Amino acid sequence: MMKWIVGLALVIIAGAGLWFSGLLKPYLPGATALLQQATTTPQVQQQQAQQPVSDLPTASDDDSDAAIMQDSAAVDTQMKSLGSDQTNVDSSLNDQPTQQEF
Amino acid sequence: MNLANLLRSISAIVLGAAFLVPVFAMADSDIDTALQQTAAVSASANASVDTTGVKATASTTISATVVARAKTKADTEIDRRTKALTDLNARVEQMTKVSAQLKTNIVTNIQNQLTGLVQLKSKIDAETDGATLKADVQSITQSYRIFALVMPQARIAAAADREATIINMLAGIGSKLQARVQADQGAGVDVTAMISTLNDMSTHLTSAQGHAQAAINGTATLTPDNGDKTAMASNTAALKTGRDEITNGQKDLVAARKDVDTIMKALASAKVSATASSTTSVGQ
Repeated sequence: MMKWIVGLALVIIAGAGLWFSGLLKPYLPGATALLQQATTTPQVQQQQAQQPVSDLPTASDDDSDAAIMQDSAAVDTQMKSLGSDQTNVDSSLNDQPTQQEF
Repeated sequence: MNLANLLRSISAIVLGAAFLVPVFAMADSDIDTALQQTAAVSASANASVDTTGVKATASTTISATVVARAKTKADTEIDRRTKALTDLNARVEQMTKVSAQLKTNIVTNIQNQLTGLVQLKSKIDAETDGATLKADVQSITQSYRIFALVMPQARIAAAADREATIINMLAGIGSKLQARVQADQGAGVDVTAMISTLNDMSTHLTSAQGHAQAAINGTATLTPDNGDKTAMASNTAALKTGRDEITNGQKDLVAARKDVDTIMKALASAKVSATASSTTSVGQ
């Protein structure tokens, strides 16, 4: 009985050693795939996050005259809004409070 | 006391009298009006009231008149600031290019201001003690220093954010134009002028980016002066510099936008030339 217990313990120790040494990896495709997925997913997410978000109304690869004209019109709209923003900056710098009683 | 000191004392008294007389005259006018009103009210309400009672009532009515006027002015200023801050908050919520931290800081400042104004208005409207009301009203004037900082600070950030959006858009158009210019170049068109204009556009966009960033960097971390005149002057100078940075950025964007039109015209002209050349070749 004692021999069986010692034998089982040796098998477990040997298995653990192989596991930690990485020798069993090629025989565990499912785990490897999960591991790769776990390591690659954040990279993909990072790449997606790093891609600049286009503010143009047309596709970034559409360089036709019509698309560029449409994009330019969108810029003109934003430029007008920038004019309002600048007016608001000036107004805020020149603001005067209502004179109080005390 | 020597003659010079005596003359200075007399001058001070004369000057003081000159400033004080109109104030007293105004106060007398209020007292007179209030006294007449109180007398009329007292006469109808209690004909047997004695002289002392009228004076006491008159004093109370004077305060009530001044209090009413003070509350009206206070409410006007509080409402004015509340509207300005609410409009500003809506604009800040639209910002997409500044850091989340900066946006959060601005929104928090605005919300703190709005909360304080709501509480102050409620307190002032319900106030019955003259001395407390006076202190509350004076706090409106004191808190103006914060309002006068938060408003331009956030407005500059909003303008810089808009400039960043336009820079992004024009950079996108620049990429498209570059592709078109390269295609023309591949077809044998002389694109020297177009490339030069593209470079000019790129230079203006880089410059605009620098101005927008400088506007943010120079104003985002300003803090209320707390009555310190040196700090106030420093804040005012920084805000004006921020405004100038926005203006310079806007000029760069106008120039970059003009470059787009120039390149588009050059591309159209090249296309016409190519078509004419092709037609001539076919006709021959």
